[in-house]
Amino acid sequence: MAWLTKNSAAPIERRDEPYLSESFKADFEAKYAHRYPTRRAMALPILHAIQHEYNWLPPQALEEAAAFLEIEPTDLLDTATFYEEYFIQPRGKHTVWVCQSVSCEVMDEAAITEAIEDELGIEPHQTTDDGKVTFMKVECIGACGGAPCALFNETLHENLTPETVVQELRKLD
Amino acid sequence: MSLETPVLLKRIPTAPWGDPADRKLVAYDDYVAADGYAAYEKAAGMEPGEIINEVKAAELRGRGGAGFPAGVKWGFLPELDDKPRYLAINADESEPATFKDQLVINTDPHSIIEGILICMMACQLDTAYFYIRGEYHHHRETFEAAIVEAYDKKILGENARCGKINNRWPNLYLHRGAGAYICGEETGLLESLEGKRGWPRIKPPFPAVAGAFGRPTIINNVETLANVPFIMLYGADTWKQNGKGRPEGAPPQVPASFGTKLLGISGPVKRPGVYEEDLGVKLTDVIDRLGGGPRDGTRIKAYFHGGISMGVISQEEAEAGVELDFDIGKKWNNLGLGTACITVVPEHVSMVAMARNCARFYSHESCGQCTHCREGTKWLYKMLTRVEAGDGTTKDLDMLLELSASMGSMPGNNICGLSDGANWAIRTIINKFWDEFEAVVSKQKMVSLAVVGA
Ligand SMILES: Cc1cc2nc3c(=O)[nH]c(=O)nc-3n(C[C@H](O)[C@H](O)[C@H](O)COP(=O)(O)O)c2cc1C
Ligand code: SF4
Ligand code: FES
Repeated sequence: MAWLTKNSAAPIERRDEPYLSESFKADFEAKYAHRYPTRRAMALPILHAIQHEYNWLPPQALEEAAAFLEIEPTDLLDTATFYEEYFIQPRGKHTVWVCQSVSCEVMDEAAITEAIEDELGIEPHQTTDDGKVTFMKVECIGACGGAPCALFNETLHENLTPETVVQELRKLD
Repeated sequence: MSLETPVLLKRIPTAPWGDPADRKLVAYDDYVAADGYAAYEKAAGMEPGEIINEVKAAELRGRGGAGFPAGVKWGFLPELDDKPRYLAINADESEPATFKDQLVINTDPHSIIEGILICMMACQLDTAYFYIRGEYHHHRETFEAAIVEAYDKKILGENARCGKINNRWPNLYLHRGAGAYICGEETGLLESLEGKRGWPRIKPPFPAVAGAFGRPTIINNVETLANVPFIMLYGADTWKQNGKGRPEGAPPQVPASFGTKLLGISGPVKRPGVYEEDLGVKLTDVIDRLGGGPRDGTRIKAYFHGGISMGVISQEEAEAGVELDFDIGKKWNNLGLGTACITVVPEHVSMVAMARNCARFYSHESCGQCTHCREGTKWLYKMLTRVEAGDGTTKDLDMLLELSASMGSMPGNNICGLSDGANWAIRTIINKFWDEFEAVVSKQKMVSLAVVGA
């Protein structure tokens, strides 16, 4: 939802231990700083790195990252809220991304979505009560030859049927 | 007509030359064993201007959607000063129905890296960023590993075999996107690279003059650059033996369609996938010969022939002889060749649903800077949802056409081409399949409305 601002007004829960440890920052600096002429250009990489570590982008972590990039926290939040992959709210342990664009729709993505909704008891863009699975419906994921398809976290599943998608869901632990 | 030997899929088993089941990663050594990096060595011994002239002579047109001649773009760069200059490789590939670049990224990454380096030498660009969409996880890992190999083998980095470029050792970095279609638009891509929201920039200035970090920048699609090593190694004339030239006696301004093209086929065909063919191949030929024809029991009604943003082609048009070349837009009333990735729409799927799907895509992916695009796409989506549910009126159809026709960088009220895509997708679907739309609106309110409007 590129231009809709995601809810960012929640009170910030703070903890004493920083999200970005000194060793995290040192490793990150060594890997990325020389790549770009500005520090801000490390925004996407650091957001990916934080999300990789914590599964979402806690507000305090964003503040720490902004300080690290030497930009205002609002500027980093501005970037983070623009991109669909970044979660500024906690999400489930696993994320299932089902493609809903044309090639998948003509190959009956609707049946896949229905099977997921039935199995998990949730609608798209919701998380199961036990915090296990977040179900996203997204636009083309670039695997149209294997439509209908979905990403389970970072793993692509193609030529899905209502049966196989449920099997895959049950494999998530 | 059919392509005899593949250019881009030379090392990637694909029908009719090979079996996709045999595909495996072409690592550095395999790549070198199959002529790899010979073009790199050759280019390293040439003057930058000579390389550009060869690419210009090939009339290699961009494969990312717009079809702009690559050699001409490379010629737009200003004189050298002593500061850095950039190349941004567009591997965002987010156009719905498009999945052609990913095959090369995932299977033959060095063919792209070689093209990248030749472009860097030609244009004197010292640093390159490979902007890859966030959802390509396996592809990203494969490409990162190939970059590491290329550094190890001194293709890149300090003491690279091509020597310094723009007085610096050449570097290539992968930059991962995060799920936003608009970052495929070239200036949205640059903003995203700079760590901001991917808001396309108003042009001019064009990126060749002031691009990434305010410096001269060339942006090319993956497939465009993957063609460059062949052109370098065998020459423009050999490369031009594939594809389709301009008609006999036509002046050079008429766009030619030389070379081969990666084609994606998806939807209910027997063999969906990525193929390579001559530009100018017939659409029906692609579907029947490469795609194996429609699945049993399916009849084809329409095609999205270049991603959704180019609009649709009806089965009648296809049978009348649609050819996939750079002239397709003018001839068959659509926006152009686009990505040449084809979605087959079967008879049983409603075109109203297809229009609604497209409108949802644009309303979701509009970056929100321009009012016409932000509000217009949302409005299209709402109206089409209503029409699909059977609550539409004939007036809605007129309004849909009027609204979509008013949007775009070509009508001139929007910054980038996303809105042109929305314009053409919705308008061509409604115009070419008017009956289907009329059938759903006429059910309910049309009669009473006709009275109200009288
Ligand atoms: C909304 C929009 C999305 C685009 N997405 C892509 C994309 O995903 N990949 C791509 O190569 N080009 C994309 N383009 C085209 C680029 O702006 C640009 O023309 C292209 O990358 C230039 O490379 P080429 O000349 O080699 O084709 C997009 C354009 C627009 C307007
Ligand atoms: S046309 Fe649409 S996507 Fe493009 S810049 Fe304007 S609002 Fe953004
Ligand atoms: S349309 Fe579903 S992956 Fe492309």
